[in-house]
Amino acid sequence: MNFAGEHLIRSPKHAVWDAINDPDVLRDAIPGCQELHKKSDTEFDAVVQVKVGPLKAKFKGSVRLEDIQQPHRCAIVGEGQGGVAGFAKGNAQVELIESQGATLIRYNVHAAIGGKLAQIGSRVVQGVATRLTLQFFENLVARIEPGDAGEPGPV
Amino acid sequence: MIAQGHPRSIGKHVPRREDPYLLRGEGRFLDDIAEPKDTLFLSFAMSPHAHARILAIRTDAASALPGVVAVYTAEDMARFVKPIRTVIEIQGYRASSRMVLAQDEVRFVGEHVAVVVAEDPYIAQDAAELIEVDYEPLPAAVRLEEADSESAPLVHEDIPRNVMFEAAFASPDFQAAFESAEMIVSETFRTGRVAGVPLEPRGCLALLDHVADSLLFYTSTQIPHLARTALSEILDFPEPRIRVVTPEVGGGFGTKAQFYTEEVVTAALALNLRRPIKWVQDRREELLTSIHARDHIYRLEAAIDGEGRIKALRTDLTTNAGAYSSYPFGCTLEATGGARMIVGPYDIRNYAFHTRAIATHTCPSGAYRGVAQPSCFMAIEGLMDRIGRKLGIDPATVRQRNLIRSEQLPYTNVLGVRYDTGSYEECLRRALERVDYWNFRKRQAEARDDDEVLRGIGICCFTEVAGAGSGGWRVRGLTKVPGFDSASIKVEPTGKVTLLVSQAAAGQGHLTTFAQVLADYLGVKVEDVFVSEGDTATAPYGTNTFASRGAVAAGGAVIKAAQSLRQKIARIAAFLLDVDVERVELTESKAIDKENPEKSVDFRQVAQIAYSMTSVALPQGESFGLEVVEMYDPPLATWPNAVHAVVVAVDRRTAKVSIEKYVVVHDSGRLINPMIVDGQIHGGIVQGIGEALMEQIVYDEDGQMLNANLLDYLMPMALDVPQIDISHIETPSIDALGGFKGVGEGGVIGAVPAVTNAVADALARTGANINRLPLRPSYLLREMRRRQLAVDGDRK
Repeated sequence: MNFAGEHLIRSPKHAVWDAINDPDVLRDAIPGCQELHKKSDTEFDAVVQVKVGPLKAKFKGSVRLEDIQQPHRCAIVGEGQGGVAGFAKGNAQVELIESQGATLIRYNVHAAIGGKLAQIGSRVVQGVATRLTLQFFENLVARIEPGDAGEPGPV
Repeated sequence: MIAQGHPRSIGKHVPRREDPYLLRGEGRFLDDIAEPKDTLFLSFAMSPHAHARILAIRTDAASALPGVVAVYTAEDMARFVKPIRTVIEIQGYRASSRMVLAQDEVRFVGEHVAVVVAEDPYIAQDAAELIEVDYEPLPAAVRLEEADSESAPLVHEDIPRNVMFEAAFASPDFQAAFESAEMIVSETFRTGRVAGVPLEPRGCLALLDHVADSLLFYTSTQIPHLARTALSEILDFPEPRIRVVTPEVGGGFGTKAQFYTEEVVTAALALNLRRPIKWVQDRREELLTSIHARDHIYRLEAAIDGEGRIKALRTDLTTNAGAYSSYPFGCTLEATGGARMIVGPYDIRNYAFHTRAIATHTCPSGAYRGVAQPSCFMAIEGLMDRIGRKLGIDPATVRQRNLIRSEQLPYTNVLGVRYDTGSYEECLRRALERVDYWNFRKRQAEARDDDEVLRGIGICCFTEVAGAGSGGWRVRGLTKVPGFDSASIKVEPTGKVTLLVSQAAAGQGHLTTFAQVLADYLGVKVEDVFVSEGDTATAPYGTNTFASRGAVAAGGAVIKAAQSLRQKIARIAAFLLDVDVERVELTESKAIDKENPEKSVDFRQVAQIAYSMTSVALPQGESFGLEVVEMYDPPLATWPNAVHAVVVAVDRRTAKVSIEKYVVVHDSGRLINPMIVDGQIHGGIVQGIGEALMEQIVYDEDGQMLNANLLDYLMPMALDVPQIDISHIETPSIDALGGFKGVGEGGVIGAVPAVTNAVADALARTGANINRLPLRPSYLLREMRRRQLAVDGDRK
């Protein structure tokens, strides 16, 4: 499964970068995130509850940042085990582009799912992923944009 | 022989005895059997990976859940269960073993890695979810095209290049004939991966008789006797102490003609824990672990003359075996079947094949209704159409020129297989007439480029291998498939008749049809016959129910047993009537004096003597009782034949296929119950329509199954079923007792090629070349557009 998109955040690049490296911000922004701990500067552990179609599962996983060019770009590599629900793994290429005090986050995701998640959720998983991504950015914007956020959303 | 005066039951639309209770919902299927109070339930933990090393399995949390009795892994099971090893005695086959739970390595998504035993099925499932397995994912060989290569990951270390089976054949003059022909027509056909998907998933219930130390094993299977032998061998438990019973079986289609790992686990744990054990799978498990089929690639080359006659045919077939050789048919069934059956009703004298079964990291394949025949006839019938297009000859004419002519029968085909009787030309002639073929062609020629629908007509002429006897199974090396079937008849002291047959029906109506056969051959009223089957404690041993063998093999056994028993009845009756035995005829549960029909004794009077329940003594030299068991080994095979002709309309904008006309002319030899025969054909056609137009099991490139549910695995519904016009020709078999030829698979065999050819014919006008299944709108639109783009490109 591949999906890509971009999102405009009305904050400077370094603020966005800091936010997406801050476990507290991430915990609030990731939909369904129940736990998130920073293991090192580039590694996180997380527990996320997700509902895909008829399937509700708690994924325990780890996330690693690679190819870091602070604060311009990085690759996020992660995997999660959902027990009997199966697993998900993937990577996202993320790029931050600043323009007139706002930051455009551009992402390109490649993800694979397995087990029950694939067997009964394939039809809906892409839609769920898109929705969760959008929700993540909305939450992120709510956390970091100064004051009245205006019109956040995909461009 | 059937008595002259006996009113015939064979050939009549006798209402099915099964229908009243099935329609009232009173059928008792596996899950309807009341389990004892102390029954334990199983749930399996399944692999989410197509290929991975098992690093660790943690069962503590599962074991700790209240209500859980035990959790087993492969290591635990190995202490009391042998691996399942499918032995096939055929050159080019590489056997592989399978543990009932995966040991060290998983080889397909859904393979079992552990099993939970708990006090109720819900706890068992919850506990299975608590089992944690550490896997090291490994590269998987998933698609047939990829697994079949030097660089592909190996499914089994000891099976090089994933080739589980390979065989080749060439008739003596093949090469010369192939090279000297005027032209070659070739095509590659790719069929889709499908499954039988019975309405009732698999399940079993194992009970112990503590006093007798024996096992009573209920299982939703088509093969109770073969399962019993397999259980005995794998569990090392005496076969006489195992009784296998099949309750009502809610659809088999070959899916339940395999013996499965879960059956072994259920029986083994019952014996080990000394408690009743029950296991019933859900739909997802069914789609993940019950055998799949027909993931095939056919590369055909026909050397032809200018009239469209095939002078030599070469088949290269590759089949997807899945991760293990299923039991008892193994991975060779589809590979040998497709390569051997493809010559069908055609007079092809020079033939060569090369066939292989390739292991992949997917669910094992097995014997689904029709086995490789829907796919091999899609290939050869698709080639017939292409020969016609190439030469500008109508494809029906091409077939007429290649069919075996009536005067050539009995006919021994290029592989040395005998067709005793058939009606190949007559079936085609009648099918063309009933579908109004030549008028359709005229109207089709008048179609315009801006019509909203494209109409096409498709034909499939085929033979069906049915009723195979021991010789047929030995040719294919399947030594765990005996080939004979049997019948036991008891005329009880009251004169009523018990018929036990070595079959296990899954909806075929055996309780009705075998009563009809016995009624005629024993001279008994059909209502006096009670038929029972599917219980190894009562029914004599046999090969059971699959491969269209019931009517031929068990029907033959009923006839043989009836012929043997009627002699004894006639002798006792002759004694009572005080006439020569030659003058006695059995009809309608009576023995009559042919020369004085007023004089008769009924079966009850004869039975009273046989059972010593009357003052009249048994004639000297006769033994007590009125019962007999006979085995019947049918010929190598019987050969039903048929022609399906289908008219379709394909919407140009949406590529939706509508079936406008469906004609079948079928020859199953002598028909026992035409209504039941029609039912078999209808059902098979519906499955064939599903296979041709919509069904497909989808694995992604990592081996994840993406549609293990019936929302995503699309099956035909009532609205997809057209009006089906069936007409019968009865050319009795001369090789098989009774003249029956079998009918279980013909519907699906004819439907897949005929529907495919009709769609291909409709789209031929656009230049699209349709050679893959399923024919979903996305595929058809792509092919139409690809050609349209090419045409538009040329215009520019």
